[in-house]
Amino acid sequence: MAWKRLCALGDVAENALRKFEVDGVPVVAALVEGEVMAYPPLCPHMAEPLEISGICDGGTLTCTKHLWQWDMKSGGELGLAEKPLLLYPVKREGDAVLIDIEQELVYDYD
Amino acid sequence: MSELRKEPVLYDSGQSMPYVDSRIYSDEGIFAEEIEKIWKKIWLVTVHESELPEPLDFRTLTIAREPVVIVRGTDNKIRAFRNVCPHRGNLIVRKPAGNLSVAEPSGNANYMTCMFHAWQYDCFGRCVDIPRMKQGYQDRLRKEDISLEALPCEVKHGGFVWLSLNKNVEPLAEFTGEAFDIMKVELDTEPLDIFHYHKAIIPSNYKLWHDTNSEFYHDYMHYFNRATSMMQKGYFERQYTAFPNGHCTVGSMEVKYEAYQGAKERPLSFPGMPRNGWKMVDLFPGATYNIRGSSLRVDTTTPIGPNLVMIEFRGLGLKRDTPEERAQRIRDHNTIWGPFGRNLHEDLLGITGQGVAMRPGTEPRQVLHGRHENNSIHDEIGMRHFYAEWQRRMGRSPSDPMRELSLAAE
Repeated sequence: MAWKRLCALGDVAENALRKFEVDGVPVVAALVEGEVMAYPPLCPHMAEPLEISGICDGGTLTCTKHLWQWDMKSGGELGLAEKPLLLYPVKREGDAVLIDIEQELVYDYD
Repeated sequence: MSELRKEPVLYDSGQSMPYVDSRIYSDEGIFAEEIEKIWKKIWLVTVHESELPEPLDFRTLTIAREPVVIVRGTDNKIRAFRNVCPHRGNLIVRKPAGNLSVAEPSGNANYMTCMFHAWQYDCFGRCVDIPRMKQGYQDRLRKEDISLEALPCEVKHGGFVWLSLNKNVEPLAEFTGEAFDIMKVELDTEPLDIFHYHKAIIPSNYKLWHDTNSEFYHDYMHYFNRATSMMQKGYFERQYTAFPNGHCTVGSMEVKYEAYQGAKERPLSFPGMPRNGWKMVDLFPGATYNIRGSSLRVDTTTPIGPNLVMIEFRGLGLKRDTPEERAQRIRDHNTIWGPFGRNLHEDLLGITGQGVAMRPGTEPRQVLHGRHENNSIHDEIGMRHFYAEWQRRMGRSPSDPMRELSLAAE
């Protein structure tokens, strides 16, 4: 385990993905029902940048390019999605949000 | 009414006064047949590789009415594809040039996306995404079985991208044959680099432009050429050489640029090219490589209609040029061949006038190709050689074009 600082709690919001970089690793994060969630930044389908094309609504993330959708809490597929969303472990320490990046999570694009 | 001859009059370059009938420049039917029998069958020179220097750089163009996209792959190899989606026949890449790393609004970075239904293709032409493929096609169609149609494509003769719409076309080396021998050292010793591009869309026939590039008798139109060349030693010794498939070359002379007030000699050159030398290679059906000492000009024509042609002009130097050398080459190029240069607009005015006098609906006229001067610079062998090839490929005589010859070429 290697916990690193991702951001301050106030840096992330409900229904909005924001991109961060932690030791050179790109990550997108959002608040989901008060809990910070962090994901790799590209859509597992066609590598679309999710901070640009992703829409969050009621705990569901939709990539607007081809309408793949996921449950933001579990990363599980909804609707047309054929691959799950990967999640980074995240925890809070006071006002700081910490992320565990042992290894960069990358989807397997064929 | 005169009696109709049994057989059309053959275009015979050996006869005492060869001529063409002006309807080869104005007839819609002949134009459509040229597109099919010549332009869709043959090798054509297009862009220069230095116009796509980085992986995923692309250029789009239309040849013989067919949309084409040229892409430099992630493996650095240049390929050409029909720029048409196999799904519903739509144009895919719509920008004239760019890099595929920039995503289209309905696509993803690094791919060519058809904006209609978002089918996507990679730089190798392979289909990489079909939205809701399984829901709509079940197992009847797989993206792995779909690709853009790759066209024969070779980077050759000074780093130009040659391509053909004919997948059974002969190897390029066979088509150009020995026509480039005269310019091989200049073109292929070291990499070239483009420094100039402009185009002219002229209400005239494409062959009239190639005719102008294939004869020098029209130096009577260019004061600059009379002063710096026709009046100088060696001009009338310049020789035309004809090669198979309709190509020809023009041998060099030493141009005396300083004989035109304000012009200067050109200290820069190309490998193997004497200072102030001047060579040309005219390629069937409508391209010319032209080196005047320090700069290479390459003309490519795109026929749009019987009386409309797009001519693209590229200027090139050596890739290793210093900034000062490059600036000098650009000056040398533009003083003669730029849009405001001394010669080029005169040539364009020449074919614009022919385009008026021989436009569709005008009276059929005989256009003379009869200058014989031992293949020297005012001999019209370049044009005659071109029309002999035109006759072979079209199965029509340029002198009597409205009837097909029985001995049509394959």
